[in-house]
Amino acid sequence: MFLALREMSRARVRFGLLIGAVGLLVFLILTQQAIEGGLVTGFVGALRQQSAPVLVYSVDGQRTLQGSVIDPGLEAKIRGVSGVAGAGWIGQSTFTVRVDGGAESDAALIGYEHSGLGDPSGLSAGRRPVGPTEAVGSAADFTVGSRVRVVTSGPSGATGPVFTVVGLVKDAQIQVTPTLFVPWAGYEAAVKAANPDATTVLPSVIAVRPTSGVSDIELVRRINAASPDADALTRSQAASDTPGVAQVQQSFQLIFLLYGLVVPLITGLFFLIITFQKAAALTLLRAIGARSGALVRSLLIQVLLVIGAGIVIGVALFAPLTLIRLGAITIRLNPGAILFWSVGLLVLGVASALVAARRVLAVDPLEATTGGGGL
Amino acid sequence: MRLALREMHRRPGRFAIATVILTLIAILLMFLGGLLDGLVASSTGAFRAQRADLVVYSGNSRNSLERSRIEPDVRHQVESVPGVTRVGGLGSVQLGGRIPGRGARDLVPTVLFGYELAPRGLPSTPPGAGTVYADDSLRAKNVVVGTTIHLGPARSAVTIVGFVSDTRYSGQGTLWGSLETWRQVLDANRPDARVGPGVVQALVVQGVSLGRAGLPEQIDRATDGATTTLTITEAINALPGVSQQRTVFNQIIGVTVVIAIVVVALFFALLTVERTALYGVLKAIGASSRTLFVGVVLQAVVVALIASLIGVVASLVLDALIPAGTIPFVATPARLLSSAVVLVVAAVVGCTFSLRRVLRVDPAAAIGGAP
Repeated sequence: MFLALREMSRARVRFGLLIGAVGLLVFLILTQQAIEGGLVTGFVGALRQQSAPVLVYSVDGQRTLQGSVIDPGLEAKIRGVSGVAGAGWIGQSTFTVRVDGGAESDAALIGYEHSGLGDPSGLSAGRRPVGPTEAVGSAADFTVGSRVRVVTSGPSGATGPVFTVVGLVKDAQIQVTPTLFVPWAGYEAAVKAANPDATTVLPSVIAVRPTSGVSDIELVRRINAASPDADALTRSQAASDTPGVAQVQQSFQLIFLLYGLVVPLITGLFFLIITFQKAAALTLLRAIGARSGALVRSLLIQVLLVIGAGIVIGVALFAPLTLIRLGAITIRLNPGAILFWSVGLLVLGVASALVAARRVLAVDPLEATTGGGGL
Repeated sequence: MRLALREMHRRPGRFAIATVILTLIAILLMFLGGLLDGLVASSTGAFRAQRADLVVYSGNSRNSLERSRIEPDVRHQVESVPGVTRVGGLGSVQLGGRIPGRGARDLVPTVLFGYELAPRGLPSTPPGAGTVYADDSLRAKNVVVGTTIHLGPARSAVTIVGFVSDTRYSGQGTLWGSLETWRQVLDANRPDARVGPGVVQALVVQGVSLGRAGLPEQIDRATDGATTTLTITEAINALPGVSQQRTVFNQIIGVTVVIAIVVVALFFALLTVERTALYGVLKAIGASSRTLFVGVVLQAVVVALIASLIGVVASLVLDALIPAGTIPFVATPARLLSSAVVLVVAAVVGCTFSLRRVLRVDPAAAIGGAP
């Protein structure tokens, strides 16, 4: 331990560079993990937070809320399926809005017909809407009391409906856009204000609740069997099967794999070179009685200290990021992810140093008396 | 110089680990860049294909094609702006397409565009009602000339009469028909999004500015703020997610380059420390610091070039192996070349950290003059 620390304090630059590199890599990994989580939550958070256990899209909607339209014929078939205890409309569109009289911005409106079938399941603040012009907003984008006016596409001066945010729900965006849950009447008014040519406002999906004794999965099966145009999904399926989510996750996993390989390789390379460089000193130490185990322990302590310090620096660099937002993406400090990567990188780092440890074990003390000492 | 290359030739193992790490970093750089290119290409093709100078949206649409509505009277105002030579309407609707031979639930996501001013690769006169040109990417979905695709819940039939390249939009294959075809399909399938007679979602404009102000400003002034006019480049950057994707990916690529610099700096700093005595001898027999440092730089460049070459091959293999429609990765020559150049520059920058050590080597030490 003493030897390991003394060597590190004497070669601050070289160990500092390595710690800096590991720290940067840890920072990159944590940032990208947070971006992945934030992106997926921003894409489909509203689907996870809405209260309906089963959502029925039209097959044509390709599992996107905005792309799906349920016509009356399909709706009748869904409602007629045995095991449906309740069904209600859900609609979704993106609008140009002004929040509290500010500049124009985007907001996604999710209109729901019945409480418990599409409204947000757990509020982080405020209460649920009681009238058509009240809304629950995504907590990262709105505050209770915010007034959100839908901008019309008609002549300037025409006014759209104004929604008052009376409640907030966390992680409830859709399409990485500030999101409002509003009663159906309010949603319908918003659609017609934004497009006066709209003739009918049909639901995007039908929210369904099963009767007691029928599981969500079973109800999904029955509805899909009832019509080839219906695409029923459980709440979690609706979130995970939204187009783009799987691709985002696959892309990031490949990136993580590459970064996960770079960290141990850099560490392994560093300690292997260091071991080569101090071959003569190691031989001398062995000749004056130092045990191989002590030298290997010293090496492993350095590995743990370097990676540990790198992780601390990486987390310290990453932590301030959680105070800001990347566009509409919320970056979160995820202790689980930090623990996972810390343990993973420590294990990989120690494993990568085993080559150097083998070299240390191969040191022959006799070489000190013959003028050798190379490895 | 020859000494540096000979060392690499005689002791390749010494450089193997650095090459492996830089290869991984090269693959990372090329993969991140290819991912960005793939995402952007699949989102912006329809706009990049426009043979126009400007795109005109309605003023309150936030530059969203789906939300924009241009009324006929606004179009007349745009057409009458001095400098505007040609104006065409543009409309779009995203719908699932049923293609013969695929299962009842196996729909292909498509975007139907109605156009007047032909984008690159399309005939100047739009095809007749009910017929469309398809983006090349739809060939992978068994679409051929003569295929009839049924769009949306209303099963609106459109028949393919030809293909056009690189016009994907929002990650989906596109279909290009007349405004009449677009309007019919939109009305039948999306009653909440239907448009009135003569209404289009946006205008594409050809023209030049004849006044002091730019043409976009002149158009927006002529319509009294009812429009927002963007250049094609601005319109591409305004597409949802495009600029955000570019920013995030470029930042990640930037930090990865910094790591490459640190890796090279670390490796060559250690190598230089190891070779201090050798450098002393070389200096004692007349080698200059410049010669020695050029040798170090050359070794760094060779390592970076080998890593880049392997990275390019790996990226091309990855591009060939990734199934269409999964990870949006494309390996373009420009991206691969620029990544290789960035890596070589990073290697040169990284090894310059060893310059101080090379300059400090005292030849006297090699002949026993040092304390």
